[in-house]
Amino acid sequence: MKNEMTLSFVAIEENEALARMAMTCFITPLDPTIEEISEFKTIVSEAVTNAIIHGYECDGESLITLRATLNDELVTMTVEDQGAGIENIEQAMEPMYTTRPHMERSGMGFTIMESFSDHLSVQSTVGSGTIVTFEKRFAPMMETSRVR
Amino acid sequence: MANIELTDEGVLVVTLYGELDNHEANGIRGEVSSAIYAGKVQTIIWNLEKLGFMDSAGIGLILGRMRDLSPFNGETIILNPSSTMEKIFSFSGLEENIRHSTVAEAMREIGGVLNEK
Repeated sequence: MKNEMTLSFVAIEENEALARMAMTCFITPLDPTIEEISEFKTIVSEAVTNAIIHGYECDGESLITLRATLNDELVTMTVEDQGAGIENIEQAMEPMYTTRPHMERSGMGFTIMESFSDHLSVQSTVGSGTIVTFEKRFAPMMETSRVR
Repeated sequence: MANIELTDEGVLVVTLYGELDNHEANGIRGEVSSAIYAGKVQTIIWNLEKLGFMDSAGIGLILGRMRDLSPFNGETIILNPSSTMEKIFSFSGLEENIRHSTVAEAMREIGGVLNEK
């Protein structure tokens, strides 16, 4: 099965849940396991929260755009903002590194995204924004569930 | 959503429901912290059995409360996380705090530890 989607929303924290819900619906045709769903939702949540908090500082105006394609068992997704950008991507991806300790950000977002996805890449320019791209491959559907 | 209960033995049982993300954690943080600052909490049990989803905001929330609790030498127990949550906790070295049991069993375990002290 092939499918494609784009979703944009403003940078408020409430939209973390919106993004997870939309993306969960998008992967439903793959008949994912509970573990696959929760790992995928976690990646989405981390990337979108980063865009809202770090990209736009929850400004409630600027747009975050999610783009996703589904190509049989492979889901490719980008989370894009035109916000602050990341000065040092390598440092930002280090476990426990955070620029917002007072907000109790654990600094584990990228570690989790890397571990739960099959491929993760980050492009960023200070002052013009960040694009996080990840791929997740789902287990092939059983023949029995395909016939439903 | 969180349900917070403090027992006579100073065990704060925080039962979490729904989805714990950054937005939700911001709502729960103050409630749990003020219970700790009241000075009666010896142990926090985070009961995650009914929690449907958690991202790294859960780590921030729990580590932050461990910090609040450290002046009182308080213990932290993470009860019944899902396997995905367990992976998330293990990335931050919190796997030693995880238990799989009922709240009552966890309480008994703490009771034993407290009596030995």
